[in-house]
Amino acid sequence: MKHNYLLLKLLSLFLCCLFWSFSTFAQTIRGKVFDSKTGEPLVGATVKIERGSFKQATSAKLDGSYSFKNLQPGTYKIDAKFIGYNESKDDVVNINEGATVTQNILLQDANTQVNEVVIAGSANKATDRSARTLERNANSVINILSQNTIQLLPDVTVGNAIQRVSGVSIQRTSTGEGRYAIIRGMDQRYNNTLVNGIKIPSPDDRYRFVPMDIFPSEMLERLEVVKALTPNMEGDAIGGSMNLVMKSAPDRFIFDANLSGGFSTLFSSSRPFTSFSSSGINKNSPAQINGNDYAATFKDFNSSAITSNKQLSNPVSSTAGFTIGDRFLDKKLGVILSASYQNIYRGSNSKELTPNAAPTIVPAPNSPQFSDSYDRTYSTQTQRVGLHTKIDYIFDKNNKISLYNLYLHTNEYQSRQTSDTLGLGLNSTGLSKQITISNRSTFTQQTVYNATLQGNHRLADKLDFDWDGVYSIAKRNQPDRTDFSYDANNAVNSAGEVTASVKNNMALSHHWENNTDKDIAGYGNLKYSPKIGNTDVEFALGGLYRHKTRDAYYATYDLTGGKATLYNNNFDAVPFYFNLPSDGIGNNNKDKSNNYAFKEDINAEYVQAKFKLFDRLQVLGGVRIENTLQSYNTEQPLTYSQKNGTISYTDVLPSLHLNYSLSDLQNLRLSYYAAISRPGFGEIVPYNIDGEYYKQIGNPNLKHSTSNNYDLRYELFPGGADQLLLGSFYKNIQDPIEYFVVTNGGPSALFVQPGNAQGGATNYGFEALVTKYFGVFGVSANYTYTHSSITTDKLLKIDNSPIVVQQTRSLQGQAASVANASFLFKSQKLGLDMQLAYVYTGERIAQVSTYYNLDFYYHPFSQLDFSFEKKIVNRLSFYGKVNNLTNTANKIYLKYPHADIDSKQQEFLGKQDISGQTLVQSDYYKVSFLGGFRYKF
Amino acid sequence: MKKILFPAILMVITISFAGCKKWSGEHRDIYSYTPPAANPVSDKAPLSCSGSGTSVVSVKGTMLTGKTYSVEAGCDLVINPLDTLLMQPGVTLNMGAGSSIIALGTLVSNGSKDRPNFITVAGVTKIDAPGTVTAKSDPAFAGKWKGIIGGPSCNLMVLRWTHVEFAGGTEGDATAKLAGSGTGNQYSILFANYKGNFIMEDSWLYGGVDDPIRISSGKVAIFRNTFEKNGVSGGDCLNLKGGSTGTLAYNFFIGTATNGQKASNKGQAVGAPQTNIVMYNNTFISGGYRQVQSGRGGSINFEEGAAGMYYNNVAVNCKYGYRVVGSPIADVAHLSYGNNFQYADSLFVANQFYPTGYITQPQTTDIPSITTSAKYLPAGYTPGSVYDGTDVVQKNNPMFINFPLPATGHPLAQYNALNGYNFRLQASSPLIGKGNTTIKPLILVPLDPVYGLSEATPPGADLGCYQINGVGNQH
Repeated sequence: MKHNYLLLKLLSLFLCCLFWSFSTFAQTIRGKVFDSKTGEPLVGATVKIERGSFKQATSAKLDGSYSFKNLQPGTYKIDAKFIGYNESKDDVVNINEGATVTQNILLQDANTQVNEVVIAGSANKATDRSARTLERNANSVINILSQNTIQLLPDVTVGNAIQRVSGVSIQRTSTGEGRYAIIRGMDQRYNNTLVNGIKIPSPDDRYRFVPMDIFPSEMLERLEVVKALTPNMEGDAIGGSMNLVMKSAPDRFIFDANLSGGFSTLFSSSRPFTSFSSSGINKNSPAQINGNDYAATFKDFNSSAITSNKQLSNPVSSTAGFTIGDRFLDKKLGVILSASYQNIYRGSNSKELTPNAAPTIVPAPNSPQFSDSYDRTYSTQTQRVGLHTKIDYIFDKNNKISLYNLYLHTNEYQSRQTSDTLGLGLNSTGLSKQITISNRSTFTQQTVYNATLQGNHRLADKLDFDWDGVYSIAKRNQPDRTDFSYDANNAVNSAGEVTASVKNNMALSHHWENNTDKDIAGYGNLKYSPKIGNTDVEFALGGLYRHKTRDAYYATYDLTGGKATLYNNNFDAVPFYFNLPSDGIGNNNKDKSNNYAFKEDINAEYVQAKFKLFDRLQVLGGVRIENTLQSYNTEQPLTYSQKNGTISYTDVLPSLHLNYSLSDLQNLRLSYYAAISRPGFGEIVPYNIDGEYYKQIGNPNLKHSTSNNYDLRYELFPGGADQLLLGSFYKNIQDPIEYFVVTNGGPSALFVQPGNAQGGATNYGFEALVTKYFGVFGVSANYTYTHSSITTDKLLKIDNSPIVVQQTRSLQGQAASVANASFLFKSQKLGLDMQLAYVYTGERIAQVSTYYNLDFYYHPFSQLDFSFEKKIVNRLSFYGKVNNLTNTANKIYLKYPHADIDSKQQEFLGKQDISGQTLVQSDYYKVSFLGGFRYKF
Repeated sequence: MKKILFPAILMVITISFAGCKKWSGEHRDIYSYTPPAANPVSDKAPLSCSGSGTSVVSVKGTMLTGKTYSVEAGCDLVINPLDTLLMQPGVTLNMGAGSSIIALGTLVSNGSKDRPNFITVAGVTKIDAPGTVTAKSDPAFAGKWKGIIGGPSCNLMVLRWTHVEFAGGTEGDATAKLAGSGTGNQYSILFANYKGNFIMEDSWLYGGVDDPIRISSGKVAIFRNTFEKNGVSGGDCLNLKGGSTGTLAYNFFIGTATNGQKASNKGQAVGAPQTNIVMYNNTFISGGYRQVQSGRGGSINFEEGAAGMYYNNVAVNCKYGYRVVGSPIADVAHLSYGNNFQYADSLFVANQFYPTGYITQPQTTDIPSITTSAKYLPAGYTPGSVYDGTDVVQKNNPMFINFPLPATGHPLAQYNALNGYNFRLQASSPLIGKGNTTIKPLILVPLDPVYGLSEATPPGADLGCYQINGVGNQH
């Protein structure tokens, strides 16, 4: 209820501001400020009036409008200024008693005069207005969040910010942080991530997709989500391509800086944040230090990640960042440096029921059963450092070169405290409970570095050439993940009180996981723009070559404290040892054969042409060919058939994009494109690791997915940052990759393995997006409906021998409805910007079960966030971000009435809230606050 | 002295029961020709993998009577899918450290009563006197070699009059990949083909780490075997999972870590039958004490969809009694049991004859009688609830020939090997004549003196694995 109260306060604040704007007036001058060339309203332009000694100033609102009220009748001089524009010449306005005069002002873009360089001279792309312009003029279907939008969002990482884009939902981490984007129902594997148009490698150990939470959002100039691919774009984005355009060198000196602090209301003295020290952590495993023949013993391990635990009752998060940029040498050399630091404390309280490997026939066929009931608390400290620089040099009007560097580093300290009641009904009953208490400390370092050297050249009058040379590296190290557990065997009396407790079966595990992914790539594009007949035609051809090398290392050492020894709450007294001494030898390590090296060479070529078939119809079409050559090698024994392998394939990807201008402000777009999705590296490699419910194994026979995609979109850009987009899409995917439960080895050994679903999958839907500003107010909303279907084999247990049946379902992670709504208030006069942002993600599959009708579903999720920025003095403002105002929980349900579950399991189900379903997981994050100062020069 | 006395008594009993036919029968000694083995396995050098760059040494053919073979340390002795390895009676196979036998084809160890086979480790001395060694330093639990791993294509594995000793080492990745099993497995014997036959008769299994015998699935016949010191700190001695069918009878267990025999339908594959196991006339002594988790059994356990029956069994001083699990529930509609005997030295054991929290239904044919006293299983007792076993402590002494009860001098947990004890019955034993002989074994394996089950002993009149008439367990 407390949160609802907070919500109420915020709403009333909003309403107060609303009434502010209505006031009585007599004589008024009003109007709008426009760009003289494009006609765009110039939000924030300063407008001044002068009559003798009387002076007044205001600034243009979101729709470019300004007004001066309660003026004396007379003649006023009026002029307007805006950064990047020439100041307007004084206009003169005469105003009579009781009259209202409208005076629009046109400003001329300073850049268009100074910068005669034909090479894509980028003006300020930070605003919503420019984002709309880009969307309108884009070659294909695209959605853009501008820097200004991002800055005001309640989100500090791109992982969270991206959910504000139409049709995008996010996959959260255990602490609620957005990590992966699902674009129009296509999960992360079907999307790619670009930085300034260049694909970057992923620090993930198995997959290609990049965790979006490693990007601090403040480093972005804009975030583009491209939903239909043109031939000049990489073809591995069935769902879409996320392009993070980083701030580029400005045309004048800029400096801005911000500093903030905050906290999460999750933590208190009764629910402290558990921290640990990483100082004792071994960077390398005993096998890495001493060789694979070395027999490690307990002495080789340092468990300080467990023993250094400290409880903090209210840790303070902080962020800081600055951007500095300027242009030198007669504006030829531009430099920008942007740095960001975040130190965020987050956490969650989680309850989870783990399904038993198979349902039973009691009390009804296919009755779900649970084996474990988990109660977990997560404490996660994330330190992010982001640094990027861009230097460009304009040699002459035909040649420009730029060097871009991006460095991102994340340290994540996660402490997970678990209490696992296991063997529900089997080893835990009404009279005895076997509970495994565990404490896991995970330290994860992720680094992404990218350097891109880019050149743009006008070779001849109508011939342009651009090229990129790219070096990227992505690393993830998870050294010495330490997990300590013991069993508490509790005897319980009929009143539920523990009458006796025996603690034993101590186990300690040390785990190492390191991987590196390196790319060397070259891109080249040639553009020829002749006039054929009366039409401008743009021919483009180009290609890319990328050589990727990747390796992954794993090691796990499991020690036991002896089952017969009792645990007396003193970790140091536990005599840990290997069950068999030979288990400590590196060559015997159970993870050794998961180690892999992967190489991938991709070369792609394309040709495309863009022309106006007639005045209002732009046609862009072409074809792209992508050649993929992959090879992997593992540390599997020679006796293992899939030890190494080489895979190659070629894809021909045609595309056609028609853009029909219904009017200057309206477009109708029709797109077709073919795309692919390559399996993750780790999915092809025949790994064998412990997964969430089952062991997981790789599949060297996994095929890449291909798709045909169709898009139809209507766009209306009435002016300013306003827009209306209505679109629909249809995708037909062949060989979609889904996870299947398979038997391998003995018939009772069940594994989860990625495989290609026979018969393919379809995915279609529509989306609508509207942004409208009314003076100081703005509303931005989008809604996407998606329907996907895939039919796979499932098991059904009617009696004690399961049969195979087919079930049609949606793709994993795809929600039928995804919606966003933001209410904005922007007043230059008050120096106040506010935003209330709401995001809704409908029900979607969290985990596909092997058994019929027993899939796990994420409950519809909605979150409300609030943010504001208030100017204090000239260049200094105060800002705040409040996340998860309503303390929304992430919940997962099984669509099976909980009352129908076996009576012996009822006592373990916990609190249930939906009669037709069973709550199997809930994660609570609570409200978090962040507040600070921003300085802008 | 007792060792001599016992066979003598047995002979007298056998004679008196068999009547006088043998005295009057005629005697023939007619020559029979046995063709020489076409593919004798050479015993000249150890079976070695070093030099091949892999851990594999493939083997097929026949190991000859009286010969001793050895497998080099770290090697996997592989019987390929279409091949057979036949061990004639009297073969000793010494397994090197960390070695394994992987049966992808057929493995038959055809020992005989007179010439048993050994699959063991050379030069290890057993330490079996109670209390002389901790589990941690007992070679029985050291997993000196990995064990016999039946792959998914193994159609037949027969162990007859064969000692399997000191196995249970971690399979590790290379071995597990070859066998199609699991990296972390620590089983002395694994069988994992629901279409295949696993036959173990008159054999001995000594030591082990996790489940000494894991039947992931398969048709089984496990008759008249002796199990000692099985599992170091957990593990069910005969652990049968989803898709296992057959009979376990006349087996003797002492000092198992957890259960002696367990049946579960967990992991039943599509096409595999439901687990259905018939258990009768088995004897369990001091089971369950190296498993410290509460509630886990020490004798027989039926859980998760498993059907079958258990009759005529004997459990003495086992940590938990016969357990039927309610969640995930055993196939109780197709599970029957009765005529089972239990004995407890202590109240702790007696209080768990019908383990609390589970659904074992006391049967009128059980011993001790379920109507022993007002306290023991009082009126209104429901399965799984707490009761007071005071009145059945040290009642119904089974009168073994040489195993004094109540046990004195050592905790129950330390009685984990035969060590010269004799669990055959004295004539005054209350176990005699209490058996149900109307039940039928479930025999799905071929009956054959070599390539199958040589004898399916029907249920016996006396409870436990030793019959006063000499049939049953022959050890």
